[in-house]
Amino acid sequence: MNGGRAPSSGAALAVGTRLPPYSIAAVDPESMKLWAAFLHDPNPIHLDPRAVQAKGLGDKVINQGPANLAYVITMLQRAFPGSTLVSLAARYAGSVFAEDTVQAGGTIVEVAGEASGVRIRCDVWLRANERDPAITGQAVLVLPKE
Amino acid sequence: MSPAELPPPPGVDGTSLAGTTPYVISAEENRALCASLGAAAAADGTAHPIYFFIATQVGMGQTVAGLCALCDFDVEEGPVIASSSVTFSHALMTEQPYRVTGEINSLVRKRSRTFGVMDVLEYALRLSLPDGQPVLETINVWMLPRRSLA
Repeated sequence: MNGGRAPSSGAALAVGTRLPPYSIAAVDPESMKLWAAFLHDPNPIHLDPRAVQAKGLGDKVINQGPANLAYVITMLQRAFPGSTLVSLAARYAGSVFAEDTVQAGGTIVEVAGEASGVRIRCDVWLRANERDPAITGQAVLVLPKE
Repeated sequence: MSPAELPPPPGVDGTSLAGTTPYVISAEENRALCASLGAAAAADGTAHPIYFFIATQVGMGQTVAGLCALCDFDVEEGPVIASSSVTFSHALMTEQPYRVTGEINSLVRKRSRTFGVMDVLEYALRLSLPDGQPVLETINVWMLPRRSLA
């Protein structure tokens, strides 16, 4: 299927289309405290820079992997309003540190019509400060028929 | 020490990770989570899909530290999450009780350029409605560094 558009997003539903990126200007260490509570995860590398230094991992607290993945999902939700996330497979490939600028993005790799709507497969990624991707993966969404 | 000489990892394959109490995504927490991402919570009660990870991880019958302990691994040694995958049958909703079931799929010991030796832990978790209707299945893979065996 070619030539369609995701409702309200302006993103053309064609293989090769780059999804509108979603950026966070600076990852907030206070947000990591919230995520520690959401995840019931008291790991100090997310809360105390001294714990990160002690492990030789850097000098800033490290964002939780699921929080990084949530940026990617939020990017998909913005690119495809009204869509349903069917599946997601992600590899946690690197760390995101406090105050990093992160950008989530993706590319459509497959578009197929089906009874319930349009099924879209995307490669997705998250980068921090232009480093190698912290997350790579693939997502499948369905856009309902309008 | 060749790979064949490494001591075997604990035999934990098939260990149940079923939760003991239903997990409920609170609407208030979902709003706070969405705000932390710079997004607005859905008005129709749909929860952010990242709750696939949170609900299963928090609702399973083990803390991360407890899961590591099952594998004879001290959480203070620093488990590293490697991958997550999920397949949804239904969207997640706030204020809906979910039952968590699951099990350890495998614990495999191998040599690692990064860690010397590590155990690769794979486990599956499922969310279902109280009537048993499936909602999602997720598989997580963690690396457990075994530097003392390197």
